[in-house]
Amino acid sequence: MTKVARQLALKLNLAVRKRFAFLFRSPQPLNPHRSGRQKEKDIDMSKKTFGKRRRALTASILGVALLGVGACSSGGGDTPASPGSTTDGSITWWGWTPDKANADKLIAAFNKEYPNIKVEFVSKPIDSYDSVLSPAITSSDGPDVFNVAPGSANGGVETFQAGAIDLAPAVTKALGSDWKTKLAASGVDGLTVGDKVVGLSAGAVYSGSLWINQDLFDKYGVKPPTTLQEWKDVCATFKAGGQGCFVQGAGQWAFDMDTFEAIMENVKPGAYVAASKGETKYNDPSFTKGLEIWKSLFDDGIMQEGAIGLQQYPDANNAFMAGDYAMVMMGTWYTQYAVKDSMVAAMEAAGVGSPTPFTLIPIQFPDVAGTGNTNLMFGDADYGLAVSAKSQHQEAATTFALWLTTSQAGQQAVANTLNDIPSLIGVQPEWGSIDLVNSDAQLAALKNLTDVAGAAPRPRFASVSADLNTAFRDALIGVASNDMSIPDAEAALQAVVDKQK
Amino acid sequence: MSARTSTEVREGRSAGSAGRPGGGRPQVQQWKDRLEGSGIPWILPAVILVVGLIYFSIGYTGYVSTLDWNGFILSPADHVGASNFTTMFSDRVFWLALQHTAVFYVVTFTIQTAIGFFFAALMHSQLKLGNVYKVIIFVPTVLAPATMAPVFRNIFDTHGQFNWLLEHVGLNFLARPWLAENGTAMPVVMGITIWQWTGLTFILFYAAMSQIETEILEAARVDGAGNLRTLWSIVWPMCAGTTAALAVLGFIGALKTFDVPYLITKGGPNHATEFLGTYIYQTMVQQKHFGYAAAISIALLVLAIGGGVAMSIRNRAAEGK
Repeated sequence: MTKVARQLALKLNLAVRKRFAFLFRSPQPLNPHRSGRQKEKDIDMSKKTFGKRRRALTASILGVALLGVGACSSGGGDTPASPGSTTDGSITWWGWTPDKANADKLIAAFNKEYPNIKVEFVSKPIDSYDSVLSPAITSSDGPDVFNVAPGSANGGVETFQAGAIDLAPAVTKALGSDWKTKLAASGVDGLTVGDKVVGLSAGAVYSGSLWINQDLFDKYGVKPPTTLQEWKDVCATFKAGGQGCFVQGAGQWAFDMDTFEAIMENVKPGAYVAASKGETKYNDPSFTKGLEIWKSLFDDGIMQEGAIGLQQYPDANNAFMAGDYAMVMMGTWYTQYAVKDSMVAAMEAAGVGSPTPFTLIPIQFPDVAGTGNTNLMFGDADYGLAVSAKSQHQEAATTFALWLTTSQAGQQAVANTLNDIPSLIGVQPEWGSIDLVNSDAQLAALKNLTDVAGAAPRPRFASVSADLNTAFRDALIGVASNDMSIPDAEAALQAVVDKQK
Repeated sequence: MSARTSTEVREGRSAGSAGRPGGGRPQVQQWKDRLEGSGIPWILPAVILVVGLIYFSIGYTGYVSTLDWNGFILSPADHVGASNFTTMFSDRVFWLALQHTAVFYVVTFTIQTAIGFFFAALMHSQLKLGNVYKVIIFVPTVLAPATMAPVFRNIFDTHGQFNWLLEHVGLNFLARPWLAENGTAMPVVMGITIWQWTGLTFILFYAAMSQIETEILEAARVDGAGNLRTLWSIVWPMCAGTTAALAVLGFIGALKTFDVPYLITKGGPNHATEFLGTYIYQTMVQQKHFGYAAAISIALLVLAIGGGVAMSIRNRAAEGK
């Protein structure tokens, strides 16, 4: 239907151009010595010609308008797409992640097994992802495979599930009926809507860890903090030496939520997620304690001055990469910067000239509440792959999506990018082939991080709605800047959850 | 059937017009001539385009404002009537954004007008290197806010150049995280806007002053008016039209403010630099409340049209006095 409409539109376009040509043609010079009769004849001819042209023009415009309405109507319909071949075709993959270099690596690995499926990765900015994807996946000219994310993030499965096929039959065929037990739970539940498997997780990201510049810790003779008091002391030491301690772009509240969830996991494991689901109240004493600790990070000199005026990306990331600060709150996605080349590139991007890579090490979030609840991370699928219901190459698109998310080779390729923790249980990065900055100092910590993250029991954003996400912004920044009391912040969060019930 | 009716009508009209002076021309032809004379056929394509693109979009936004919808075309939408508007009127952030818009408009318009007028007068006083100064004043207007945003974020950072400057001139007590405090973030946003748009105000005043007859200024001199008196009593009133136009443009610009607060402060901290534009973007893109965002957009439209019309009427009334 769309093809027919397009051909008709082309024909009409040509017709309209033909009709409009008289507007652009130079007028024929009139003989100034014409007779009076000839003049009348010319005027009459002119009226007739212009009359016909006007009618034709009006008809053309109306025709184009009607065709446009028809074409628009057909775009939103449920036109069945031809599935194509499972091993042959040319497909497009849209996503905000991975970056181009990693996507090329993944596609190259895929083409070793499926050389006849050409995959083109189109990187879309995360901020405008929803805006560009919405119209695209209602058309067969849009992406065949597109990234989806759990919860309230951009590319949310709840929003885009209507434009994707159900991958349950395909994944059952690939991994068996017990496929859910073979994949990380964070990648299954968060990308399923009802019984529909909208996306399959390529890998997950987990937060709840801090990253330190070990070289700076060595220089100042301090050890990574394990308690709130130690954290304050470490920061006091750095500050005394004119060195920045901990940096956070607290104006970008998604990372505030990470820090606060890490605090809450330490105060009372599971309370943060339970409250977001309405299973416990935000006025529970554990939240009061958590918010007090959150506020103390600002009041007791751990957070840098002016934190809520900065964004995590690029401000805090650049400041940490430039060596201005010794600690930052980031998740497993930061593992990629433990690699020499990636770190040099990140430092250059942060404005460091001729950078010397430093020893980047993950540490667990300090026991800030003194409860002993540590090593508890939380995470979601970083991105899942969904197959467009409008794709003309659904079979090839499904082959690619399944290979990347469920096959040993695909997941190994994902693991080796160090951007995500693989979804397929048991797959680890091939550390021996990865060129770390300081392998002796980093390797054990990185392996430990991978293990702890893989066992993470709770989600990061999957249980947080868009409204609750916004309420967290107001609550956490409000408490930090003394513009909101802790009881008011708790009440505001609870009001959102109550409204959602 | 239709062909027959058409013929009858044509015949009827011909007969009806036979007795008129100059009769004999079919009535349809007269109607066509009148239509042609009115120019309607010539503006019709533009009307279709404008109505189709702009007014349809406004109408569609009005329709969306009655929905509870996440914005994805395949997702179902619930009709909620005027519920989004009810929510809007009880939304603290909406009123905060309006309040910010009012303060922002008054401050930026007043300061831009004062500086622009002053510079324009200065440039008319045969200053050496005048053209260089004109370029310097006007350049910020052509710089994209997206290009300048990282620079300003850096300048007003806790460890930025502005605090460095304050410390080096003995004003350490004023140094602070400018973008992180409620009380200072908005002045920074207003300062950047003034820096950016004063060039345009200057150029318009400069052009307006060029239109003033030199004889009028000379007459003022003969009557003993000094520089300030001439500026205040002659030049300023004669630039009233420009000031009025800038006032309307500034008002609509203030309502539409988005780029500077979004790029510099993201509307924060604590909504301290929230405007209608940033709030619409947040509710639509981040929270996926397309219906609610559309309701705020309609409010913005009504304010822009209402305010613009009111100011124009007031200006015309002032001109008539």
